[in-house]
Formats: sequence, C-alpha cells, structure tokens
Amino acid sequence: MKNSENDYRLEMTGISKSFGVVSVLKDVNLKVKPGEIHALLGENGAGKSTLIKILSGVHHKDTGTVRLNGQEINPKNTHEGQVLGISVVYQELSLVNDLSVAENVYLHKLGASKFWMNWDKITRDAQELLDSLGFTIDASAKVRDLSIVQKQVVEIAKALSEDTKVLVLDEPTTVFDPTDTKKLFDNLFRLKDKGISIIYISHHLDEIIKIADSVTVLRDGVDTGTMPIAETDTDGIIRLMIGRDLKDLFPARNVEIGSDPVFQVKNLTAKDTIVHDVSFCVRPGEVLGIAGLGGSGRTETAKLIFGADKKKSGTLILDGKEIRTKSPVDAAAFQIGFVSEDRKEEGVFLPLSIRRNISVTSFKSISGKLGFINVDNEYKKVLGLIEKLNIKTPSSEVNVKNLSGGNQQKVALAKWLSIDSKVIFIDEPTRGVDVGAKIEIYNLINEVAKKGVGVVVISSDMPEIMGISDRILVMHQGTIYGELQKDQFTEENILRYSIGKKLKQQIQTI
Amino acid sequence: MALALKEQLSSPGGILKFLVKYNTVFIFLLLVIFSALISDVFFTSANITNLLKQVSGIGIISIGMLIVILTGGIDLSVGSLVALLAVTFAILVNLVVLPLAILLTIIIGFSLGSISGYLVAYQKMAPFVATLALMTIARGLGFIYSKGSPVTFKTAGGVFMSDFANNSTLGVPNIAIVFFLIVIAAMVMLRYNVFGRLIIAIGSNEEASRLSGIKVNKYKFLVYAISGALAATAAIIVASRTNLGSPNMGMSWELDAIAAVVIGGASLNGGRGTAINTLMGVLILGLISNILNLLNVPSYPQQVVKGAIIIFAVLLQRFESK
Repeated sequence: MKNSENDYRLEMTGISKSFGVVSVLKDVNLKVKPGEIHALLGENGAGKSTLIKILSGVHHKDTGTVRLNGQEINPKNTHEGQVLGISVVYQELSLVNDLSVAENVYLHKLGASKFWMNWDKITRDAQELLDSLGFTIDASAKVRDLSIVQKQVVEIAKALSEDTKVLVLDEPTTVFDPTDTKKLFDNLFRLKDKGISIIYISHHLDEIIKIADSVTVLRDGVDTGTMPIAETDTDGIIRLMIGRDLKDLFPARNVEIGSDPVFQVKNLTAKDTIVHDVSFCVRPGEVLGIAGLGGSGRTETAKLIFGADKKKSGTLILDGKEIRTKSPVDAAAFQIGFVSEDRKEEGVFLPLSIRRNISVTSFKSISGKLGFINVDNEYKKVLGLIEKLNIKTPSSEVNVKNLSGGNQQKVALAKWLSIDSKVIFIDEPTRGVDVGAKIEIYNLINEVAKKGVGVVVISSDMPEIMGISDRILVMHQGTIYGELQKDQFTEENILRYSIGKKLKQQIQTI
Repeated sequence: MALALKEQLSSPGGILKFLVKYNTVFIFLLLVIFSALISDVFFTSANITNLLKQVSGIGIISIGMLIVILTGGIDLSVGSLVALLAVTFAILVNLVVLPLAILLTIIIGFSLGSISGYLVAYQKMAPFVATLALMTIARGLGFIYSKGSPVTFKTAGGVFMSDFANNSTLGVPNIAIVFFLIVIAAMVMLRYNVFGRLIIAIGSNEEASRLSGIKVNKYKFLVYAISGALAATAAIIVASRTNLGSPNMGMSWELDAIAAVVIGGASLNGGRGTAINTLMGVLILGLISNILNLLNVPSYPQQVVKGAIIIFAVLLQRFESK
C-alpha cells in the first residue's frame, strides 16, 4: 500500500503512562506524516522522553494505540522497535567506547545473523554512511578517541544504518556549533525528501521554526495541540509549553544585593578535570547563573570549590577570609552547600526518610555529648523546613523515593538550608521537575537569596537561567569565557559565549 | 503506634502486609511454637539456657557484621579473628591479670579490624577481598601462636572467666546478658546516635554522603575496627566457656553471622537493617540447630534446612520491598 498525502506514517493516539502513582502521560496524541519533520516540544519533565521511549519499546504504554503505516505495533523492546524501522538518537550517548566506529554503527546487527562477520565490509559500509553525512570520521577509529561532536554523528549514523522509517532525534545539536548544525539540517532535509519521518526534539525554538513542518507541544504529560509551523511563532510555542507567558514563570527579583562579595574564587585550577583559571565572585543576596554547554566544566567547577574534586591551585575567599576546602567535609563546615544535578545518585538518600535526609548535615546542632541526637530538636528542625519549603508529604517519615522529583529536590535543598549555608551551589535545580514545582523552587531560590545567601545556579535551561539570575557567567572549555549583565541576557549571547565566540556588538566595536 | 497497628491490620490484605513487614519476628514465633509442639524438652530451662549460650558468640559477631553490612561492606574475617583472639586471650590470661588480658584482647581485636578498615576505607580495596585476606591471615596466625593445639587456662583469672561464662544471673546465662547488652547498645546507637545515622546514610548512598560533608572514610574505617573488637568479645566468651583457646574455633562463623543479618532483613547493599532484627536472625538460626539436635537430626541435613530457611526469609522480604 502506498501512502497518499493525508495518510500518516505514525499515529500515536490516546497514549497514557504512569510510573507508580505518578502519571507522566495523559491521553497524548502524536501523528507524523511521511517525509515530515515534526517538532516535539515541552519542558523538561513534560513527558517527551517517555513518549519516545514508548514508541521505541523501552517503556510500555498503559493505554492507547500506536500505528505504523496503519498497522498497530507494540514493540516490546528496542530491538523490536528497530526492526520495525523506528530509530532513536538519545540525548545521552549510548556508544560503546572500546569498539570501533563501524562496530558501533552496526552493533545491533553483530551477533544477529552469521557466525563469521565480514569486518572489511562492515567498515566499508560504515565509512560510506559517514561520508554521505558529510562529516569526516574514520570508521575504523575507536569511539573513545572521538570528540563529542563526532560521537553524536556516529550516533546518528547508527540510527540510519537500519531501514529507518521514523527517525527520532532528541536534542541532537546540543554539542554542535553552527556549521555542524547546518550540516545536520542538510542531512535531515535529504532524509525528508526520501520520505523518512523525523521527530525532532529540541529546546532551541529558532531551530524548530527553521526546519520543522509542524509542531506538537507537551505540557505536564498532556498534549496542548499540534499545528503547522507556519501558523505559529516562538512566543506562541512558549505559551503552549508553559501555559502562560514566560515572564510569569519566574518570580520578580527585588532583592537587595550586597556590595561586598560573600564568596570569591581566584584563579582556581583543577588537578584532574578541565577546569582552569576560574575566577568569579558572588554577592550576598545575588543569584549568579553559570551557563555553558555540557562538558564545559560547570559541574566540575562547583565540585572543585566544594572539595569533591582535587584542586591544583587557586584561592577561595569566604566573608573576606581565605579558606581551604580539601573535602566536602571542610566545605560543609564553612557552610558552603552543594545540590548535585544527579539528584538520585548524589543528592538524596532515596531509601531513607525525609527526616533522616535533612538532618544528615546538621547533627552538630541537634546532637549532644557523645553524639546522641536530641530527637525533639531534630523533629522541630525537620518539620519546620518541610513546612517552609512546602514539601508535599503526609509526614516526615515518608521515604524520599516515594516523593515526586520536585519534592525530592526540595529535600536536597533543605539539607543545606538546615545549616544556614552562606553560599549554595545548585546544579540543574529543576531537571525532571514539573512546572508547578519549578515555580516553587524558583521562589525558594529567591527567598534564600533574600536572606543574604550567595546562590550560584548552574543550568542548561536557557529561559530558566535568564529568568532567575542577576548575572550570568558562561563557561567554555573549562574556564569562564564571558559574563553577561541582566540587559545582555539573550539565548544568542549565551550560546555565542558557550561556543567560544565574542558577542555580536563586541565584534562590531572592534 | 498502637493505633497505626490497628489500622494496618484492618485494612484489606492488612494481615498479610503485617506478616511480611515483621517477617523475622513471625518466622521466629512460628519456629518457637513448632519446637514446643514437637519436643517435650524444648521449653525446659536447661535447653533454653543451652540455646542462649550457644548463640551468644555468633550473636555478638553478627552485630559487628550488621554495622559493616549497613555501610554496604562485608567482613569475612570475623570467624578467623575469633580463633586468633581466643588463642590470644588464653595466652594473655595465663600471663597477666584478668582485666588487662580482657582489655588487651579487645584492643588487639580492634587493631586487627582496623587493618581491614584501613584497606577498605583508605586504599579503596573491595571489602570482600580485604577481609578475605585478613581471614586467612588470622586463621594462620592462630595456628602459629597456639602451635596447632588448644591453649588451656591455667590461672585464677581463667577460672573466674570460666565460672562467669558458664553461670547464670537471675536465670539468664551471663554470656547471653553480655550479648543482649551489646544488642541494646547497637539499637540505641543506630537509632539515636550520630554514628549509627551516618553509617546508614553511607550505606544507602555513599556519594550523596560524601557530598553532604560526611567523613565517609572515617566511618567506614571504624565499622571494621568495631567489628574486630566485637570479634574479640565473642572470642573471650567462647574461650571462657570451654576453658581454652583453640585455633579451630569460630570455623565459618562469618557465614552464620552474614546469614543471621540477612535473615534479619538487612540489605547486603547497605543502608537497611536493625539490631533487633539481627537478634531475631541469630535466634532463628540457633533455634533451627537446637530443634534439629533435639530431634536427633544429623548435622548435614541441618545445613540443608538452614539454607532453605535463608531462602524463605529473603523471599518474604522481596514481597516487602514491592
């Protein structure tokens, strides 16, 4: 059967999915035509990834139907999905570092058919495929030796090595500079002409407007509609994404910022990571944003200051006095807080109660001689924070693993508020958090700053970092490449600094 | 508390949930009832006293094992440490005054445990490997120092210890009292002391602990040292019961201790487990041996039954986590 103009290649209708009590997708529809680039948009945690994972066979839907070329499909695992012609390029790279590029590209076919592999043919085919994409990558090289951009290209080649009917790209350009991005787009247009359906997930709305034919927006697990790209613009899409205008999402900042810095970093260089020569200061009451691409050393900078990574040289000055943080133990003693981006692995204790999570940093103030804990004081402190942070829970004894992402994040933050931190580093404060909890976390950050705490927020979420920061530092290749004042906040400026380019007006003045 | 219990029991499937939650207590009571029905001798004071005496030594090292396992580690050396330290105590008790002999034995136990602790915490060696090495070293040293044969108590101090270990106070064997006191101390430490809280935190998420400013290495070091000190306490008790220290003592006790902790519902990944449940685990294992002995079942079938009970207990716990 040949598809006519109005037939859909892919129809996902009435898809619902919950994990435990958390409902992630509610009656979502997504319909993509052959030869169409369809943008799938939504904030972090809106349910995009879950929808894609249902399509590819990672997750299984609770209700709804998925049709490919009119046939109902139910892939039980990613292999079945691939055989059906659904290829996904995930955000987190899934390549095997110790294998060659060619082996990675054809990984899903290795071991599938014959006893003997024709390695020469595989390498040749892979090389041909990579060349056709217009990037220079040696198919016989080890993936370990590739740059992050090259790895992303291999990932795309891998997806195309199958007879792909639906190609899903999840934030493919995050690591690309504009030339690479343009090359990728040329490829996408070529695939489109071949009749492949492309689902394109991105936060870069400018990109979307440029390449997509139509757009579907998800908000809190519900699709807020599909429309041809010609009928909307960035403002319209944002309104669909957050359900209100952007300015309402972020609290007004009318905090008195002190003049003397509460915390200063001078020429900080790491021993084992790319972080080098980092200098900045935070004033009391200030929210300082740190932007940059993944791998630019933002998280590593925070961990270095916090004593979790080893320093080579540099000075830290807290309240005018030089301090040394050889380990997180020292940092915590100096009342420096650090909320990790990896909440589940590094931030909270999932199997322990909220009470035990929060009090873990503050035993000094709630325990007496020989380390015996004054349980009354402990409850008082913990219950006070639960109320203040509006952590939604029936009691302090609920295990943190049973809380939503937003409430878990509040617990991670509460740990540092309980010791009256002077500076708090918060890495990706709202990753995997729904819109409602996001607003609460933004308000919380605001309130913490109001008390004279220096708050340093690391975020990849552009609207977020521009919405909550008083000043933004942009990191590039392990050091601070530029600083933006409030009137300079634009996605373009942040991006230019992120990829190591000067701002436009700077170029003009030179 | 009582209200919550009532609520739980009256909710649908509540009784089942209750049984699963308190599965160790449930298995323990079931075994007691079963034993009482099947044997006339079981509920005699002689048998109960004997049972308590038998479990005290393993019980004490099980508490050490529990705190190590709570951090996500394991201590395979404790059985061999019991042998080496029993020999050490027997030698010391013949050389110096009793209090000094006891003190020195415990200090040596603490120091030997510190070796594992140092290797695990500061040299990042896998706990299994570090304590396996210490296990063979300690067993070997036990044989070297005793020249392969038991060292008997020869002094008044030895006689005093032997009396203490074989007598009872208010009907409870003295060594069981020592064991129960250690259990109570562990309960209090785990619930109300910073030390206990922190080792549970470390076991449930080591990286988060480190990034919360907890001295992870220090606590990981300490649990092995304490486990060594508890092995010394157990060694003093078992040596005193028999009036001698032998390098064959404590054979595969580390496995019984791990079994007791696991039957008590602790997670080998760390972060979950309580002293009272470990006590239950110890008593369950002791009860099984006791009743099978009363029934004249030979020791090989006993091992099969023990293994089956471990599987049953852990399967019940799987229910709980679901």
